[in-house]
Amino acid sequence: MQLPAQQVAVLEAASADDPRRIEALAAETEYPPETVAGAAFELEDAGLVAVSEASTADVSLTDEGREYAADGLPEVRLYRAALDAGADESPVQMGQVIGASGLEGPQVDIALSNYARKGYGAIDSGELSADPDADPDSDPEADALATLADGGSVDDQAVLDQLASRDLVNVRERTVRSVTLTEAGVTELMAGVEAAEEVGELTPELLASGEWQDVEFADYNVEADAADHTPGKTHVLRQAAERVKDVLVGMGFQEMEGPHVDADFYINDCLFMPQDHPARNHWDRFALSNPEQIDSLPADLVERVERAHREGVSPDGDGYHSPWDEDFARALALRGHTTSLTARHLAGVADEDVEPPARYFSVEKAYRNDTLDATHLLEFFQIEGLVVADDLSVRDLMGTFREFYSQFGIHDLQFKPTYNPYTEPSFELFGRHPETGELIEIGNSGIFRPEMLEPLDVDADVMAWGLALERLLMLMTGFEDIRDVHGTLCDVEFLRDAEVVY
Amino acid sequence: MPVVDVDPDELRRLTGHRDKDDDDLRQDLFGLGIEYEGETEDGDFKLEFEADRLDRLSVEGIARSLRYHYGDDRGVDVPDTNSPEWTINVEDVPEDRPYVTGAVIRGVDLDEDALDSLIQLQEKLHATMGRKRAKGAIGIHDLAMLKGQVARSATERASGETASEAVDTEGDGAATRSITYTSVEPDGDTFVPLDDDAERTPADVLSEHPTGETYADLLADYDAYPAIYDAIGLFSFPPVINGRRTEVTTDSRELFVELTGTDQWTLDRMCAIICYALDARGATIEDVTVDYPDRELHRPDFAVRTKHVTHDRIETLLGVDFTTDDVVDLAERSGLDATPVDDGYDVEIPPYRVDVLHPVDVVDDLGRAYGFNDLEPRYPDVNTIGGRTESSRLERSVRGTLVGLGFEDLLNFNMTSEAENFDRMRLSPDEDDAVGAAEPATISEPYSEDFTILRTWALPSLAMVLENNTHHSYPQELAEVGFAAHADGDTETGVAERRTVAAVLARHDASYEDAKARLQALCDEFHVDLATPPTDHPSFIDGRAATVEIDGEPVGVIGELHPAVIVDHDVEVPVAGFEFELDALR
Repeated sequence: MQLPAQQVAVLEAASADDPRRIEALAAETEYPPETVAGAAFELEDAGLVAVSEASTADVSLTDEGREYAADGLPEVRLYRAALDAGADESPVQMGQVIGASGLEGPQVDIALSNYARKGYGAIDSGELSADPDADPDSDPEADALATLADGGSVDDQAVLDQLASRDLVNVRERTVRSVTLTEAGVTELMAGVEAAEEVGELTPELLASGEWQDVEFADYNVEADAADHTPGKTHVLRQAAERVKDVLVGMGFQEMEGPHVDADFYINDCLFMPQDHPARNHWDRFALSNPEQIDSLPADLVERVERAHREGVSPDGDGYHSPWDEDFARALALRGHTTSLTARHLAGVADEDVEPPARYFSVEKAYRNDTLDATHLLEFFQIEGLVVADDLSVRDLMGTFREFYSQFGIHDLQFKPTYNPYTEPSFELFGRHPETGELIEIGNSGIFRPEMLEPLDVDADVMAWGLALERLLMLMTGFEDIRDVHGTLCDVEFLRDAEVVY
Repeated sequence: MPVVDVDPDELRRLTGHRDKDDDDLRQDLFGLGIEYEGETEDGDFKLEFEADRLDRLSVEGIARSLRYHYGDDRGVDVPDTNSPEWTINVEDVPEDRPYVTGAVIRGVDLDEDALDSLIQLQEKLHATMGRKRAKGAIGIHDLAMLKGQVARSATERASGETASEAVDTEGDGAATRSITYTSVEPDGDTFVPLDDDAERTPADVLSEHPTGETYADLLADYDAYPAIYDAIGLFSFPPVINGRRTEVTTDSRELFVELTGTDQWTLDRMCAIICYALDARGATIEDVTVDYPDRELHRPDFAVRTKHVTHDRIETLLGVDFTTDDVVDLAERSGLDATPVDDGYDVEIPPYRVDVLHPVDVVDDLGRAYGFNDLEPRYPDVNTIGGRTESSRLERSVRGTLVGLGFEDLLNFNMTSEAENFDRMRLSPDEDDAVGAAEPATISEPYSEDFTILRTWALPSLAMVLENNTHHSYPQELAEVGFAAHADGDTETGVAERRTVAAVLARHDASYEDAKARLQALCDEFHVDLATPPTDHPSFIDGRAATVEIDGEPVGVIGELHPAVIVDHDVEVPVAGFEFELDALR
């Protein structure tokens, strides 16, 4: 039979009646012990050898042990000094004996603590007596040290334990494996085995020469962990944005884009937000100081918007009883919502004209001077969507949102009537958390008021909704602190570990 | 959204539903869109409701809504008013605060709860419609403590006679009596304000009285201050504080309500809401005459407005077919009255409904009465074609290519500080032609010194991410496709906004060549020609920086970051990087 070279060597070196250690086989075959062990296990699996295990202890002297082997154990030296001082006759002052013994430092304590234990005598009230019958020449611990120092081995486990507890020796447990040929192994050997060539890696030379046909490939441990690899990765929030865009495009929505810095006119006035509305002077708005105002606004549009604010629209309409000033509308700010893009599109000041029916969306940044916490940042992505068509009803709005949210696993949508200055009717949207089942707010929606649409010259109904992308991502993935993800404080490791959104 | 504290026992008493337990009430309130937010220490409900329904700012208003909800009341209700005995003269008022309205209330029975509710209503109206008293301020006085002036005829006024010279010495019995809304010099007449015991001039009140200090800003531009006089003298200093003499207590039986401000309509609506609340407690409302130099008004204004709503609009907006009777019924359950005419209905709106601007608001009321949650959702039968913008598609493709080149895609803030954007990159905004050097768009009242401008380039953000992640393993190869902007008078908004591509390689042997290899690969993918002529840029090592020229246009910079920049960001490995305009890959 053909076997890898190292297995052939081990098989030939092994004996059927004399178990041979791995180390011995390694010495004979000139393979490293781990290779021999690997080969032995392969052969055992094939039934050609038996591998037995025994555990054995390697004992070696510590530095202290070697010192005592040369100079004698401290307690023995103390006993000899005590005999010299006549302590076998009557107790002698301890200090005198210690002085005579030449013991110093920690050895004094070691000597004293072992003296009585080993029956060399007694210590009482600072006086030391010696047992005349004790035999320092047959101290088993001293003998064992001497034997070990000479390279011999000690079998008395109690003495070894004692020496180990005194830190005079190191004991290391070791598993010793021995290999014996089985009958099958003997049979195969008799029939003849030869070495097959084995290679570690496939090389271009092997492929070109055709040699690959005659070689064995060494087995890998295919279950072992591989080295870490950090792949490039799309930001998790961008992945979520892509997912949302996919859904919206699939539902027939066309993407919008537009300025981050915009005039309050498009951010608020076109949305029929009164100029004295608390939110418009609120601290949560990011006004700009340079530049401060937009240069020009379309005069006819400004005039229509102002009239809607002052007088309302339709014969029965009322306006706001609030001041309206074009200068105020020209003020520039970072958009607090991307509904400014909707306003620009509906007003026809974006690149294209809106002709109903139409669906538009954007997933873009908005800015709010909010308190920073786990769910609020100064910058966030707003998902904005709108449908422009004739005769849209509240039921159409509900149907559209039910479809949109179901794409993200959010069902049981509930509609709570609410108030919003530029929509009527308006609804807060609530849905069940896919994991916890909790009812949570997931967006705001409504049908744009005539006071918004008429000045923008839109002759159709428009329903719209908005929600924060971050909120949707939290629902989809369950991550909890937005600060780990978005911004320069982000944790690169967190982003590396984040699960892919699809 | 506004929150009002409401005693549930008061609610039970005012609705006449004493058998409702707290849970029933909470559920009924939710049906009205009023959310229970918890309890006060006294066991009152804290109720949050929509910011448009200012008629619900008090327990009386909420009770009224509940009675319609229960079907106890139907249609529009307007309280009867008695003929006026009192007049408010208007003369020499401050130009910026010319309007006043008012009402007399008789037969009130104010226990502690009722008084608290009245004060809360006043405060909530100040906070909302009154725009923190800037637009409208309410003063409520004990009528018994007022001494009326004798109302004068137009001729008397024309002769220049002042009100205080024509005192009604009898104090009562006269057919008409008056108070005067006028102005006072800041250091003119004195009075004792509420919560005080010293005579003060208006200027003293603004500088010495806590309430005065709070509202002093409202009058910063006034030469003379708003003031109200009776026969005894100055008794109210709107919009700041009333006098102590006319303070309302639980012993008060008759009230004088006055409102002053910048808009007559707003004042009249606020006044109506207060009168309705007191009417709900059994008081009688009495008109007052408001005598402007050029016109005379009778107030409170309980005029019912009418909106015409077409039947078709109701059906198309709600998506439900109704009979005429259905609509009339839904309107009455909403506290409105609908009269069928022609193609729809004339719908009467009670004076306390400040939120109804347009017929569409009536449709919303009808929908609420019908029950929005009873509507069956349907997907609109509207066909449209979806798609992405070109720049959005380009951004996605560039991001994907960068990721394929091994970069971790980042998402940083568009706001930053001048220190991060310029100083820490060794860059000055007016550096000639250097990428990133530009006049930034600045934020007027920044939230913190970390967010004062819009970033002019993205490499500083990546340097900050490296700085905040020095404890994580290298290499760190980071990229961002994002937003950058600078002030530019030639654009529509005065801010030039663009999308930018930035990348850094941070590892022990990062070099210019590594960065250029990636940049080349990126440009190859988009079939554009890349050239990198040498340049100087303060953020990079001299001799190891180049202009990124794509199809012959200079669009960015590439190089090894300057050691001073690296060390300043606490990074201990070399960093190479590049940044250029996304549109160059189009």
